[in-house]
Amino acid sequence: MTQPIVEVKNLKKSYKKRKTKEIITAVDQISFTVNKGEILGLLGPNGAGKTTTIKMICGLVRPDSGNITINGIDNQDKRLQAQEHISAVLEGNRNLYWRLTVRENLEYFAGNRGKSRKEVAGQIDELLKQFRLKDKENEMVNRLSRGMQQKLAIAVAMLAGSEVILLDEPTLGLDIETGYEVRELLREIVRTEDKTIIITSHDMDVIQDLCERTVIINSGKVVTNDRVENLMKLFEVRSYTVKLDGHLSEEQHELLLEKFPQLTYTPETYQSVLEVDLTQSQEIYDLFDILKLEQIPVDTIDRKTINFEQVFMKIVKGEKEYALSERV
Amino acid sequence: MRFLNVFKANIRREYIMLKRYLPNTIAMLITFYVLFLGMFAGISLIGDPSTQDTNIQYVIVNYIFWFLAMVVVNDIGWQITNEATQGTLEQLGMSPMGIWKIMLSRLLSSTLIEFVIIVALLYLSMFTAGQWLNVDVLSILPVLILTLISMFGLGLIIAGFTMILKQIQAFLQILQFILAGLTFVPLSVAPFLAFFPFVKGIDMVREIMINGMTLTEFTVADISILVFNAVFYFGIGLFVFLRCERFAMHKGLLAHY
Repeated sequence: MTQPIVEVKNLKKSYKKRKTKEIITAVDQISFTVNKGEILGLLGPNGAGKTTTIKMICGLVRPDSGNITINGIDNQDKRLQAQEHISAVLEGNRNLYWRLTVRENLEYFAGNRGKSRKEVAGQIDELLKQFRLKDKENEMVNRLSRGMQQKLAIAVAMLAGSEVILLDEPTLGLDIETGYEVRELLREIVRTEDKTIIITSHDMDVIQDLCERTVIINSGKVVTNDRVENLMKLFEVRSYTVKLDGHLSEEQHELLLEKFPQLTYTPETYQSVLEVDLTQSQEIYDLFDILKLEQIPVDTIDRKTINFEQVFMKIVKGEKEYALSERV
Repeated sequence: MRFLNVFKANIRREYIMLKRYLPNTIAMLITFYVLFLGMFAGISLIGDPSTQDTNIQYVIVNYIFWFLAMVVVNDIGWQITNEATQGTLEQLGMSPMGIWKIMLSRLLSSTLIEFVIIVALLYLSMFTAGQWLNVDVLSILPVLILTLISMFGLGLIIAGFTMILKQIQAFLQILQFILAGLTFVPLSVAPFLAFFPFVKGIDMVREIMINGMTLTEFTVADISILVFNAVFYFGIGLFVFLRCERFAMHKGLLAHY
């Protein structure tokens, strides 16, 4: 049974521009919930209101109206109590003290949450092992690679022991290998530690790979709140490129246009290329029935697949209409 | 107990930072000592010979307290500016203990750590000048603690404003001289300054160290003003800090620099 752990209701936040005094609505009546134990992707283009939303969830920015509860605790009325249940990596490696060592950073941030060094010593050892930072524990953070700094920032958030962890761009600026390593770590955390993770990322591969559900924000509003697989299905197109050893007859071309109005046909010197989107997979038979009329030899058939980045772009550009709340 | 852990974490950090920035610390001490030598030479060469000893004693106490005030009040402003630039201020804001407790721990930590240096500087200054002051710990300590509490209040005010304004470096530089004014001006010249934070306390410490007074010789009014200043300025400091924190959260200022 799904149990909500973070509930965001009718959140609104406006800012006044310093120079022009113009009021900008950064977040406009945003509502969504995050269930216990899930990895939620919070997405949106730059300036969509994503960061403001994250910071309101963290209790670092106060909303103009609306409310957020973390584990049932209102994060405005009882901000410090709510913060017992959430930790965050907001600016990646900038969230660390560069002149302290790996272990000193972990101990310092745990100390600031009221935990003694003795209390967290065992946990720190485990985290260092899990994050493969054990041999760097006495190294100053400014001497670590960006990937190691990022892993340390996540370890600091883990050490807080909160049920909810918010990660803002956890793979930003990392090389491919470290990016994959961080992904694996996050997957393992959710699998073994019973944590709820909210991730924002511009890397759609990360979102597609890790998140079960995404909330997409654009212009301060939630435009999509759905499972990743549903969105993939929704935008799944059966787009085929067929290369023919010859040209279509006039009749064939007309029949194809009648059946597939979006079809593009490009005749070349000896060959020709057909690009067609099928709404149903069975339509492939109709396509070939028409091609069979003149017995034109088929050279190649390619099927294009859509990735989550394209889905995201289509949603942000508003290519589909959604009935949001009904889809969750 | 949890606050004790916050304090322990911050004092440890302060100590580590002092060690890591050792050349910086040494440079600061040398600057302090050279400035003292300058003042000492000035008084010895061109000062009134009849009041020379007293003047030198005043300079030692005032200068030491100016250093202390800068460590407590000014340093917290610089720390917030640095944290905001580095990106760690928001992480402090995520602590369920509250930023003010962390800041208070920082104030306490830097005071305790720097206090060791201050005592060393005091003895070095006394040795250089050949003027041995009355270091009556039992009389000085209660006055000093109450004076420090009012300084912490002022420190919290500075911390709160820095959190909102961030680009406050110019003000912090000017503040050094305001603090110098408040520590150097004797209360007899401007009695109303007794109600300014820490001025009364420093005056009382001067009485102990230079004129050999003991704690029991102070009037009830003296002690009352000292206690009132400690409670009042700490209360005001905490109130201002919490209001500034709320304002910063309303405007989303914890991250932006």
